[in-house]
Amino acid sequence: MSRRYIYIKVYCAGTVTEEQFSQTLSASIVKYFGEIGLSQIAPKIIRYDSSKSSAVVAFAKDYAAELHAALAFITHVNESDTLMLPLKTSGTIRGLSNS
Amino acid sequence: MAQLLALCGYHSVGVTVPTGLMRDRLEALCDRFRDSGLEIFLRADLTCSRREELLKLLRRFRPAFDLIGVRCTNHSLALVAARDRRVDLIFFDHGKRNVWLDDSIANVSNASLEVNLRLLLECQDLLSLTRLRKEIAIAHRHNMDIVLSSGGTSAYTVRAPIQLMAIGEILGFTRQDALRSVSTIPLRIVTKNSHRRSSNYIEEGVTTLAEGQ
Repeated sequence: MSRRYIYIKVYCAGTVTEEQFSQTLSASIVKYFGEIGLSQIAPKIIRYDSSKSSAVVAFAKDYAAELHAALAFITHVNESDTLMLPLKTSGTIRGLSNS
Repeated sequence: MAQLLALCGYHSVGVTVPTGLMRDRLEALCDRFRDSGLEIFLRADLTCSRREELLKLLRRFRPAFDLIGVRCTNHSLALVAARDRRVDLIFFDHGKRNVWLDDSIANVSNASLEVNLRLLLECQDLLSLTRLRKEIAIAHRHNMDIVLSSGGTSAYTVRAPIQLMAIGEILGFTRQDALRSVSTIPLRIVTKNSHRRSSNYIEEGVTTLAEGQ
């Protein structure tokens, strides 16, 4: 399975931990694409920086649109307004290092 | 918000402003967006329930705004708004069950259908998504243009163009159509309107030329 890596910036009124980020992302994917969709997209958090509120997530190459849509549908984390913005997608983690 | 829009990758944005906003406040708003490197187009969203009311609002506000959107609150109003050439965008409240885009509206429409993500997020239910997919299928059947917009009211409700495209794709657009819906279609609407608002414009297909042209 070919993978891609996405750099996501998290804007939230409160703080978001890695666990909350992971749970929210999975919940959004399951809500709109189901368990099968989650297994197809196969998101995996490579890096989460809570000080910069950013994350690098690996996912299956053919399901980029599904992941982007799932991120767009996230409006709240822990009852705080949240925006998850995909800023860059690359075929290698190194390709995201400048972000 | 303007900086965030620039970070998302937008070059031009349509900003809905209250129709009664003072000119100096409008200028300040435009300057703030221009400082962030964004081209700004002012938009008015008209909400009413009767045909006469809509025509009166269009007469009054069409010349002052780059974009005119109409919130369709009932079927007869949706028909009038779709048919009127002064209306650029029509949109439906997905939470309301009494009005939706049907073949009779799409068949006569000169306006584009706007899919507003904020309205979709406000009522995140299966029924809204199902109805939206049907509306998009009807619009495609009648070759009606569709515009995808975030409809953001705060920084947290802004979405990147790639996210709007992705939502379009899962709602039944092809990748090319989704791309057109966030780029060329909105740009074509504002370009056409700026041409219409220029002093050389007389009517559809008729423009005055300066001497020697």
